[in-house]
Amino acid sequence: MKTNRKALLTSAALAAAAGLGAATALAQDGPIRIGVLEDQSGDFAAATMVKVHAIELAAKEINDAGGIAGRPVELVVYDTQSDNRRYQEFMRRVLQQDKVDVVFAGFSSASREAYRPIVNQFDGLAFYNNQYEGGVCDANMIVTGAVPEQQFSTLIPWMMETYGPKVYTLAADYNFGQISAEWVRQIVAENGGEMVGEEFIPLGVSQFSQTIQNIQATDADFVVTLLVGAAQASYYEQAASADVGLPMASSVNVGQGYEHKRFTPPSLKDMYVTTNYIEEIDTPASKAFVEKFRAMFPDEPYINQEAANSYIAMNLYKQMVERAGSTDHDAIRAELGKGDVCFDGPSGNVCLDPKSQHMSHTIFLAKVEADHSIAFPTVWENIAPYWLGDAGCDLTKNDPSAQYTPSSPPPAN
Amino acid sequence: MELAATLFSTAYQFGDAFAFLVISCAGLAVIFGMMGVINLAHGEFIMCGAYVTAATARAGLPLPLAILCGALVAGLVGMALERAVIRHLYHRPLDSIIATWGVSLIATQGVLIVLGSTMQGVGTPLGGVAVGDRSYSLYRLVLMGAAVALLAGLYWLFYRTRFGVVARATIERPQMARALGVDTRRVYGLTFGLGAALAGLAGGLYAPTMTMVPTMGATFMVESFVTVVVGGADIFVGAAPAAAILAAIRAGLTAWYGQLFGQIGLLVAVIVVIRILPGGLSAFIKRARR
Amino acid sequence: MNDARTFAPEAAPRDRRSGLAVWLRRLEGPQTMGRGSLFWLAAGLALLAAAAYPQFSDDYTVGNAAYFLVWTFMAMGLGVVWGYGGALSFGQTAFFGLAGYAYGVLTINVGAAYGFTWLALILSVALGGAFALLIGYFMFFGRIRGVFIGIVTLSVTLVLETFMAQTAGPQWRIGEARLNGFNGMSGMPPLTLPWPGGDLVLYPGAQLYYALLAMVALCYLGLRMLLNAPFGNVLVAIRENPERAEMLGYDVRVYQMLAFGLGGALAGLSGALYTAWGQYITPSSMGLTSAALPIVWVAVGGRRDITATLLGTLLVLTAFQQLTIYGSQYALVAMGALLLFTVLLAPDGVVYTAMERLGRLGRPGRRAGR
Repeated sequence: MKTNRKALLTSAALAAAAGLGAATALAQDGPIRIGVLEDQSGDFAAATMVKVHAIELAAKEINDAGGIAGRPVELVVYDTQSDNRRYQEFMRRVLQQDKVDVVFAGFSSASREAYRPIVNQFDGLAFYNNQYEGGVCDANMIVTGAVPEQQFSTLIPWMMETYGPKVYTLAADYNFGQISAEWVRQIVAENGGEMVGEEFIPLGVSQFSQTIQNIQATDADFVVTLLVGAAQASYYEQAASADVGLPMASSVNVGQGYEHKRFTPPSLKDMYVTTNYIEEIDTPASKAFVEKFRAMFPDEPYINQEAANSYIAMNLYKQMVERAGSTDHDAIRAELGKGDVCFDGPSGNVCLDPKSQHMSHTIFLAKVEADHSIAFPTVWENIAPYWLGDAGCDLTKNDPSAQYTPSSPPPAN
Repeated sequence: MELAATLFSTAYQFGDAFAFLVISCAGLAVIFGMMGVINLAHGEFIMCGAYVTAATARAGLPLPLAILCGALVAGLVGMALERAVIRHLYHRPLDSIIATWGVSLIATQGVLIVLGSTMQGVGTPLGGVAVGDRSYSLYRLVLMGAAVALLAGLYWLFYRTRFGVVARATIERPQMARALGVDTRRVYGLTFGLGAALAGLAGGLYAPTMTMVPTMGATFMVESFVTVVVGGADIFVGAAPAAAILAAIRAGLTAWYGQLFGQIGLLVAVIVVIRILPGGLSAFIKRARR
Repeated sequence: MNDARTFAPEAAPRDRRSGLAVWLRRLEGPQTMGRGSLFWLAAGLALLAAAAYPQFSDDYTVGNAAYFLVWTFMAMGLGVVWGYGGALSFGQTAFFGLAGYAYGVLTINVGAAYGFTWLALILSVALGGAFALLIGYFMFFGRIRGVFIGIVTLSVTLVLETFMAQTAGPQWRIGEARLNGFNGMSGMPPLTLPWPGGDLVLYPGAQLYYALLAMVALCYLGLRMLLNAPFGNVLVAIRENPERAEMLGYDVRVYQMLAFGLGGALAGLSGALYTAWGQYITPSSMGLTSAALPIVWVAVGGRRDITATLLGTLLVLTAFQQLTIYGSQYALVAMGALLLFTVLLAPDGVVYTAMERLGRLGRPGRRAGR
């Protein structure tokens, strides 16, 4: 793979374009260096290879169009092997040795927490382009992935209205699962529903007979599946063969690991997912995105929400640097603080929230049909990441560099 | 009626856990029990069997034949590995752990590079059956039958065939067997191949119920090691009762306290058993018989 | 492998010099390679080069070298337990993780003032060591041996990992410190030296590098002395033939348990230092992959000699990182191949074999350094 080392994407076309016109003040600064730390091998590779490709696509487009403020973009890519330690090693490497201007990094929340202290120590700027459990209030981080309030405040009420008020939650037994389950519980209660069961599954468990029976023993109207990883994904096949037959709601499947493409129909039948992007979305912007993506990477198995987020993040960064007139982090954050950093991309219009430095999204409800094709029963536009700001995180005023959850919110002041 | 349904449910859970433990540990138990080699590439043989099964089944072979194909390919790979690597390490059991771990790394990452990060699986056949107000997967019942058949088949192989007699003789007294004209190297090679084929069979049997990824073998590893260790060296007097006991612990803890305690309980059981019975259940049972 | 001389208890002529001199003499002995002025000259030069090198390098490289040094303690501990004691432990990471979390909990609750981080470091190491002694007591007094030691220790580390991974909820806190489940605990201070005119915070860089280099050197010399002392001789005797050692009147179980405790303490030292280095500790550092890594370092380097273990670990760590940077996805394949290659062609370890060859070149006709 050419991408894996320091892939230098300085395009020849750019050199020609920038040669006379834009080569005035900014050209002497040299290229803008962007660090990319993503898992290209190991457990998470299936969902994250495409993120690297999306960043490469965006870099090529930016360079072809004259770079960021006339400066070409240069990517510094490392493979983190789905290993937290590699994130620690390589985050130091890109910040200290490669001296990049910005980093795009991380898939699992654990990897984000592993590199965050290092980003803070060197006062770097990192984009985390993943859907996650929410709550990171850190001035050095910009998050473009969807968070629970965006995915569940839409999904759960819709499901309860459509299928009934009794909810069973099946969640991976770690931070993402537990915090997401907390959100589900809260939203179900707010909407007058009832939790008939809640079960947490350790990571790596692949046998679900008992769980399936527990679900059948209740009179649940639908199951919220917040399962993570290849082993736990075995649940769907096993539940289907035991004729559980309940609709499923999820914030994590399909949009990330494209399970509907990998599993044999109809094991994912009647799964409902809220996602901010998947390649089936039938808008002109999305179709154009898929087309140019496949033109550059014809063998890409699936273009997921993280790919779109990474692509959007590149363009948001470009916009902020050009508006600020520099790659200085304070100048960039000053632009972000104005609250009008928006981008009309493959998933519709998105904006960065100055208080939490998270991103608003168009949330699509994707329904998996019996043949594993995707339908979109409804779409919610412009869903803001409201929770952190409401709870008291305001990065325009102070920077606690912490992660909060609904049960341990920011300290009241 | 209510009682019968509950009883069936309990039996089903127990049988399901039992089948998983027996099927996933058989290959490891044969290789460890017969040859004293701890095979850390066990999971990769399982993955190999599962991949071959899925590939041949999707190419149109009926599932049972596809599963046999998976077992066969895994067995052949195992024999090749024995010839190339394991053969040189019989007198160094600790080194064989490291060597097989190296093989496991190469296999997992090699498959990821060559075949990509996932592979489309085959759906679970047969569908479900309703008992009382709950429904169960029929294929899981087949797996339980397969576990019992597997034990019976191995018993027949080791106690009723010429290969079995020669193999057991080679394991007990290698010098004596050689003096009697047994080609012990060939026996070791065949035994390792058998162990690998059994792992492949496990992969094939569980392939329709699982996600196909290069690291799928790892989910079997802990369970199979636990069973082999609790059982001790002899697969029949050790591994089968060990699987039964562990299945009861696992199914019980999972039902009452959830999956986390099912998982932790299994690991604690190993530590306790090793402490009380260093030779595993089989040594204990053999001693009790005398 | 080992000839009869290895068992020679302590050098025969008794001298009445002070205890320190006796211990210093044990820097050389039957259990460690390398003796004579030439060896110590080389060792001194190596240390000097290591000390001078930050002057010629950049901050990142030095910080990265410090990171490598962090791991050598766990490797040397495993070298003692496995190479010298003959007990293959698959679960050194249990003590690593325990001490790492202990450092986090202690420093988050108390803070970094007055050099408390160092006290926390010592307490965490002691905790790791004590836990290892407990497990060691349980195993060796239960007459568990061979591959079963590997399986018990692996089970211990996997239980800890599984347990810690689900401690995400707010109820899992010790004082101020949230355990924070699978995502890992962060926010602990790095090692801090009280210094006139403001505390010296040892972020990865030259200062931390020098502190670690001094610790590695001390630890290495201390282990050399210990291994050439009666304790080390008995340990090797047990590895070679436990029955004979027992017949000679040594309580095999006690020696093995103590060696295991020492190995656990050293793993704990690595764990606490790792936590301080990255201000982060996670359950996955106790998982299967992490647990296997120290075994790879020690096996590839050479487990039967502490020098080979130390150098081998640094070599393998560097090689693997370079492989990851330049070898892309093939890094893991290359690692596996390296393991196979070592086991089949250089079963004593690459560095060990190289050192032995080198020693033989130096003194033709004699086996070097033994």
